[in-house]
Amino acid sequence: MKNDSTARIDCNRRTFLSSTGVGLGSAAVASMSLRDAKSETSASLTDGLPGLPHHTPKVKRVIFLCMAGGPSHLETFDHKPELAKLDGEPMPDSFTKGQPIAQLQGKPLKCQGPLTQFKQYGQNGQWISDFLPWHQKMADEICILKSLVTEQINHDPAHTFMNTGTAISGRPSMGAWTTYGLGSEADDLPAFVVLTSVGGRNPQPIASRQWASGFLPSRHQGVEFNSGGDPVNYVGNPAGVPNEGQRQLVDTINQLNRHSVIGRVAPEVEARIAAYEMAYRMQTSVPELVDFSDEPKHVLDRYGAVPGDGSFASNCLLARRLAERGVRFIQLYHRGWDHHGDLARYMNICCGLTDKPTYALLSDLKERGMLKDTLIVWGGEFGRTPMFQGKGGPGRDHHIKGFSMWLAGGGVKPGISYGGTDELGYNSVDNVVHVRDLHATMLHLLGIDHHRFSVKFQGLDMRLTGVEESRVLHDVLT
Amino acid sequence: MRETFFIRTVVVLACVCLCEANAGADDLSYNRDIRPILSDKCFFCHGPDENKREAELRLDVEESAVEDVIVPGNPEESALIARITSGDVEERMPPPDSGKQLSGQEIKLLTRWVRDGAKYQPYWAYERPEKHPLPPIPSAMREWPKNWIDRFIADRLHHDRLHHESLSPRSQADPATLIRRLSFDLTGLPPTVEAVKAYQLDPSEENYEQYVDRLLSSDRFGERMAVYWLDLVRFADTVGYHGDQDHNITPYRDYVIDSFNDNLPFNQFTREQLAGDLLPNSTIDQKVATGYNRMLQTSHEGGVQVKEYQAIYMADRVRNLSSVWMGATMGCCQCHDHKYDPYSTRDFYSMGAFFADVDELQHFKVGSNGLPTKRPPEISVLSKRDRLRLGAVEANILKLLADLGDKAPAENADAKLPMAAGSGDSKLAELQRLREEKKRIEASKRLTMVTQAIEPRVIRLLPRGNWLDDSGTVVLPQLPKFLNSGKSSTTDNRLSRLDLANWLTDPSDGIGGLTARVQVNRFWYLLFGTGISKSLDDFGGQGESPMHPELLDNLAVQFIEGGWNVKQMIRTIVMSRTYQQSSEWTEELLKKDPYNQLFARQSRFRLPAEMIRDQTLAISGLLVLDYGGPSIKPYQPSGYYRHLNFPKREYKPAEDAGQWRRGIYMHWQRQFLHPMLKATDAPSREECTAERPRSNTPLAALVLLNDPTFVEAARVFAEHVLLQPNLNESQRVTKVFEETLFRAPDKREREVVQTLLQKQRKLYANNPEHAEKLTRIGLTKRSETLDVQELAVWTVLARAIFNLNETITRR
Repeated sequence: MKNDSTARIDCNRRTFLSSTGVGLGSAAVASMSLRDAKSETSASLTDGLPGLPHHTPKVKRVIFLCMAGGPSHLETFDHKPELAKLDGEPMPDSFTKGQPIAQLQGKPLKCQGPLTQFKQYGQNGQWISDFLPWHQKMADEICILKSLVTEQINHDPAHTFMNTGTAISGRPSMGAWTTYGLGSEADDLPAFVVLTSVGGRNPQPIASRQWASGFLPSRHQGVEFNSGGDPVNYVGNPAGVPNEGQRQLVDTINQLNRHSVIGRVAPEVEARIAAYEMAYRMQTSVPELVDFSDEPKHVLDRYGAVPGDGSFASNCLLARRLAERGVRFIQLYHRGWDHHGDLARYMNICCGLTDKPTYALLSDLKERGMLKDTLIVWGGEFGRTPMFQGKGGPGRDHHIKGFSMWLAGGGVKPGISYGGTDELGYNSVDNVVHVRDLHATMLHLLGIDHHRFSVKFQGLDMRLTGVEESRVLHDVLT
Repeated sequence: MRETFFIRTVVVLACVCLCEANAGADDLSYNRDIRPILSDKCFFCHGPDENKREAELRLDVEESAVEDVIVPGNPEESALIARITSGDVEERMPPPDSGKQLSGQEIKLLTRWVRDGAKYQPYWAYERPEKHPLPPIPSAMREWPKNWIDRFIADRLHHDRLHHESLSPRSQADPATLIRRLSFDLTGLPPTVEAVKAYQLDPSEENYEQYVDRLLSSDRFGERMAVYWLDLVRFADTVGYHGDQDHNITPYRDYVIDSFNDNLPFNQFTREQLAGDLLPNSTIDQKVATGYNRMLQTSHEGGVQVKEYQAIYMADRVRNLSSVWMGATMGCCQCHDHKYDPYSTRDFYSMGAFFADVDELQHFKVGSNGLPTKRPPEISVLSKRDRLRLGAVEANILKLLADLGDKAPAENADAKLPMAAGSGDSKLAELQRLREEKKRIEASKRLTMVTQAIEPRVIRLLPRGNWLDDSGTVVLPQLPKFLNSGKSSTTDNRLSRLDLANWLTDPSDGIGGLTARVQVNRFWYLLFGTGISKSLDDFGGQGESPMHPELLDNLAVQFIEGGWNVKQMIRTIVMSRTYQQSSEWTEELLKKDPYNQLFARQSRFRLPAEMIRDQTLAISGLLVLDYGGPSIKPYQPSGYYRHLNFPKREYKPAEDAGQWRRGIYMHWQRQFLHPMLKATDAPSREECTAERPRSNTPLAALVLLNDPTFVEAARVFAEHVLLQPNLNESQRVTKVFEETLFRAPDKREREVVQTLLQKQRKLYANNPEHAEKLTRIGLTKRSETLDVQELAVWTVLARAIFNLNETITRR
């Protein structure tokens, strides 16, 4: 049975790709833009770049759990007893002088001790806070990076930076880079899917720039799924059009298109037909995908998913279903981590919404044998200050000089921590991990050498990791 | 499979052809053949960037190269050749860690170039364009050229360097295709059926010319040109960062449309946008134009550091200015000297210093989370046409008041018109009407962001672009050193934005020649789908040299000498034979010139986003051609803005005629661009876009199939076709084709369409409630005289036709 279905998919895939796979290969020949030609013609025939992967990949896909707003490292994974001792004292000048500061500009800076307790879990005694009881259970599965740094201190540019490696708009996101390089394994779904969930503090906005394709071909942009209405924009038939009618319509369009080029050289038309075929397939496959009725109750319970509620829990389950169907890059946004004040209260809310489903996703993938070829990344666009900010109860401001993220899955050493901040959790000091290093490592696990993965744009060889130094974190890889 | 193979072969062949072409050429040209190799493979370490220069070696400067590594005429003695051919990995250039490699072909070319004497040439783009003599007409093509443009094209086709054999151009496009092409290219709309028929009846040169002039003088011309300009200058309705609130800027869009329609000379257009506020006695329009300096993305997010954002804004402006006018990628120099072009970091910050007087600090304090937010300074204005109309109305009111004398009611007296008849009554009614019109016009005033000069702030060179580092030297506004002929700021006499604008468009003391080349290349792109130089936004060393440099030069010279006359330029191009050719591929052309560099045919490409929308609305009869004004909101999936916050956003689609206006007036939300625009490759307008991609994705197919705008238009078109009296089904099918594609269907098409009609009839006969639903989509009232099921069936047919490749392709 498995063989059959694989064969069918392969066959479909081949037909699809050869007729240009929405790959637009031939379209590019017809449409004369050199940029199209470079980026689309060569790439599209195999629906990934020739010569990629550069080396044997450890993972096939990435699930990026984006905790938007910037969760506090000091209340999740970075245990700082010294900070507790200095609680309420002025923050030593030596840390903050000349440093960029967001909302605390011009305000007195004082230390804010951790707002919860930490204990050690797992075989290696990983420090995890009480806000994250389910994370405690997976201490042996995750590799905690405690020394992240980024360059942007405000949400919007920081998200752009985390996703594209630069704060300048118009550059491709990491998901777009990945699918551009490696192509799609999904026959009737987009290769890069973005899920967003509800709940938490008054959420910071997020922009579609974060999953944009930038100067890469548009088909590499992340496709956002909606929890209400059409799961993908316009994927539903118009009112009063049954599937059968839509099928007849698409058949007619394709027949007329094909007929219009008989006896003529028009390579773009096959590409058009392929795009309409895939559009039609998506009209069926997407509703099937988001319909959880084939999931047993114990699975729904495990995630805490209530079908159609748009929660992070439901999205975690959806992420697993997407992964099963070959979607290469899956990004889950949970907003609400921007805790300038009342941090303890909002941490309870955000962790309450995300902690258990994250555990469920990881363990479910593991049981299904899929964790070994999946990379899971957890983290926000930045961390939070060791300094107090008090908008209605103690909280913390944005912080970019040191924060925590974690990795899990194929090729990642499980159950370890890597890098560290100073005694107050301000600066990353040990094995500093820049966002670019995270990108380089992610690409490495996908089988891509980030140095050699570039695209010409405006005369430059553009890379996800840019032109500054960046390194693969070999220490955390198996 | 056969097709795959075919395509693959074509691509490979194409590459081979181009390489061979260069290698086999009689004379090597430094600019064409050598510089691109050196630039891409060597300049990174041996080029303009002083701080990265290895071994003190510069290969971009002849003196340095010849002194160090090149012995002209003698490759064997040249270290350059020794190093690139060395078998020793340590010796070999470029080094492996650069990620760059020279191909065997490239090594051969470099070797031959050195043997031939290693002749350098000044970089083409920075040389002043010269007027070149027209090449003789090849005898085989004596009848072909229509105007001087064709002489260059014919000459190149005849002496085709690429293939050592001449290529023949395509014949004239058929009349319907040509008129449709012209109409889209000049107005962004399909022609009327009548216009096509008239030309088909008499496809004479005179008729063509008259049609060109008609399109150029239509209001639609300005709208079409403005779409492109708005992409370049990144016009949008929202601030872009963080809360992405609306900001006030739509009068600037009107200004751009008016400017193209009034044929404002391009140099004046440039001055007004960059420095309208500095012009003596600047007019309202000139002030509105300065919205250009304010359109960039801005933020008042709690926690932004003013100094950081000032640096971000400055860099944004330099990037945009250099892309839009200079075809330069100066953005690189924010952190380091340019790797490939002679722009330095100092040039970057010195260019930024021109904008040091732009008043923009206020928004950090007063920027609100309202819709719109506050971005002072702003002025409240009427559109140009409304100002003119208001002037006329006021004059008429005064005249009437004089006529009426004492009988005139006070302006605010809410006097009902006396019903009694009398000689003064019609005048009273007229007065009332005029006063109401006056009120209506005055109420249409809109706020718009403008530039106001304040005391310029101090601009420092930021080392590595780091805004926290105050150690850099203070810079004054200066023009890039290598392009400048002498004008410079002193502490007493600071150059202004006006000086900058003048320099950009001055062909003798500035870079007018470069600016003109960049612009005419883009006009060419709008009319051929591709530029003469393919890199529309990079005329630097990493861009692509033009295949027809003399043609580009002559166009640039004509543009300047004609007084930067945009309409004249476009007219000249569309009057050429080259423009009027058929866009049909031949196997030969596909093989030999797949990127259409030689222009032996016209191009065919999918219509841009706005034209797809406008065409559908136009064919259906729904299109509303109101001119200018605030942005409009078409139907959009509900909840699409759910991620926006500060404030939360509720999208309210237009419930009036705005629903069916042209795409150029659509609300442009930078963070969440309307899914229709996005799926059809319209840019978010966060950065300058000189060339939109042309993709072909399932998401775009879903839009055209299912977006209510398209479904409604299909239904209204179906009504129009069904309401024609006395037509049988076959005649109605013909009508559908003629009004969309300007041709009748052939036999096979009729069969396919009639099969669809039959199947759909069956479907809707079984489900009448479906027909009811489908035909109720959209705000336009349904015609109640038609049979609902039949209307549904024809709606589906209209959807099919709207989705055809032929329909959405400009040919």
